[in-house]
Amino acid sequence: MNSHEHETESAERTQETMEEMYVNMGPQHPSTHGVLRLLLKLDGEVVTEVIPYIGYLHRCHEKIGENRIYTQIIPYTDRLDYLASMYNNWGFVLTVERHLGIAVPERAEYMRVILGELQRIASHLIWLGTFGLDLGNFTIFLYCFREREKILDLFESVCGQRLNYAFYRIGGMPLDLPDSFVADCKAFLEWFKPRLPEYDAVMTDNIIFQKRVQGLGILDPKTAINYAISGPVLRGSGIKWDLRRNDPYSIYDRFEFDIPVGTSGDVWDRYMVRRIEMEESVKIIEQALQGLPSGEIIAKMPKKLKPPVGDIYSRVETPRGELGFYIVSDGSEKPYRYKVRSPTFVNLSVLPVIGTGCFVADLVAILGSFDIVLGEVDR
Amino acid sequence: MTPDEVIETIKSQFGDAVKASEVKGVEARIDIHPEKNYEILMALKGIGLDYLNCLSAVDRIASGELEVVYNLSSLSLPTKALVRARVPREDPIIRSVASLWGTADWHEREAFDMMGIRFDGHPDLRRILLSEDWVGFPLRKDYQDERLVPYEPV
Repeated sequence: MNSHEHETESAERTQETMEEMYVNMGPQHPSTHGVLRLLLKLDGEVVTEVIPYIGYLHRCHEKIGENRIYTQIIPYTDRLDYLASMYNNWGFVLTVERHLGIAVPERAEYMRVILGELQRIASHLIWLGTFGLDLGNFTIFLYCFREREKILDLFESVCGQRLNYAFYRIGGMPLDLPDSFVADCKAFLEWFKPRLPEYDAVMTDNIIFQKRVQGLGILDPKTAINYAISGPVLRGSGIKWDLRRNDPYSIYDRFEFDIPVGTSGDVWDRYMVRRIEMEESVKIIEQALQGLPSGEIIAKMPKKLKPPVGDIYSRVETPRGELGFYIVSDGSEKPYRYKVRSPTFVNLSVLPVIGTGCFVADLVAILGSFDIVLGEVDR
Repeated sequence: MTPDEVIETIKSQFGDAVKASEVKGVEARIDIHPEKNYEILMALKGIGLDYLNCLSAVDRIASGELEVVYNLSSLSLPTKALVRARVPREDPIIRSVASLWGTADWHEREAFDMMGIRFDGHPDLRRILLSEDWVGFPLRKDYQDERLVPYEPV
């Protein structure tokens, strides 16, 4: 045997030991943020195929909705995206209000914006903390939960709940803000603003973090639109699209705020978009507190709510993207069909495309940058 | 392009396939024959409605049909479109649009899972939320689960 043949043989032997294999990531894996199972086809450390399996948290949300009257559905929407319950309530009541043609009182609109944007900050804080945890940064996790706790205290003072609020009503809000709320909220914002540079110190300016995520998991704008991606993931890909600005609902057209966008669509851009959005939400809350009028908080509503025959699709910009409700009414007290278009269900469907070809450890970072909530994916 | 122009364009290209149409605000609502769904949606995508917000299905049990609903919009135009196609309940089959929009893949799998609509040409039509061995389609109005015991007061 000459040396050339010998080389070929050893190459073949190496090939044998490098055969591809399947590995389950999840459903009980800590970095899948819930019960998501990813079936990975691996070539060594490189992921050659990602097959997501979802549905572990399926609880017949839509079927339950068809058997409840409209007001009874509100508490169920809390459990969709349990990190942004206020915003889910809002999406649902807005859809019914639009179908009924109800005008919501001014004060209720301002309350909705204030609570909705506080919820956006709280949701982004959870994301930032757990994303840092995925990448081995424990400090940011503790920082974020410290701040979120104060927001939950504010919510508790308003509605008595800390996670699932069921606080929005069709036509307005059920309770007025407590007397101390405006002062408490302003104090929180003043306290919160100097905390953002602290996050920069441990994350944004951290060269290890930068090297870890820059250029990773690139989602180009064309694929993003093809997969109907929305929210910070879409803006990370460089598309300036925010429903608060582009398809305005409620009173968002009265406030001045910027829409941060990324340039290359990598994990870093998605990180920066959410990081800057927290500042923008602070701006919106400050303006809303400034303009908060007094007056009614709920419109005159009939005792029995029977929306006219017809269907409507309406959407809001939650912290995770476009939350749409498609409701078909047959004129009765219950919706004939109640469909939820959840942002993370749609965002997750692009993972097999951009997750292919990266390392297993990088897949954790990419998945973390998508900010999925399985309660909403599985419904 | 306004909703009226959208309807005009579709009607001029696919006259017979359009059953009914109306304009509601910025939304063009078009009811179509299911055989032409792929061509009509491709035409709508071509005129700028290239963002498929949602794809859902409704059980119209009274007329013995299942309705597939496509919600389209655009990131550059204010116009939206809602396209509805009805297929018979006994043999619900419609052409898949997963080759036009990547997002349709999972939406169609969900519609198959919950309503039993078969999407012809779908790359991987499996159940998505329920387990593989589930029997029946839960969001149909006549769905009965034999494991559910009726409640009888003592």
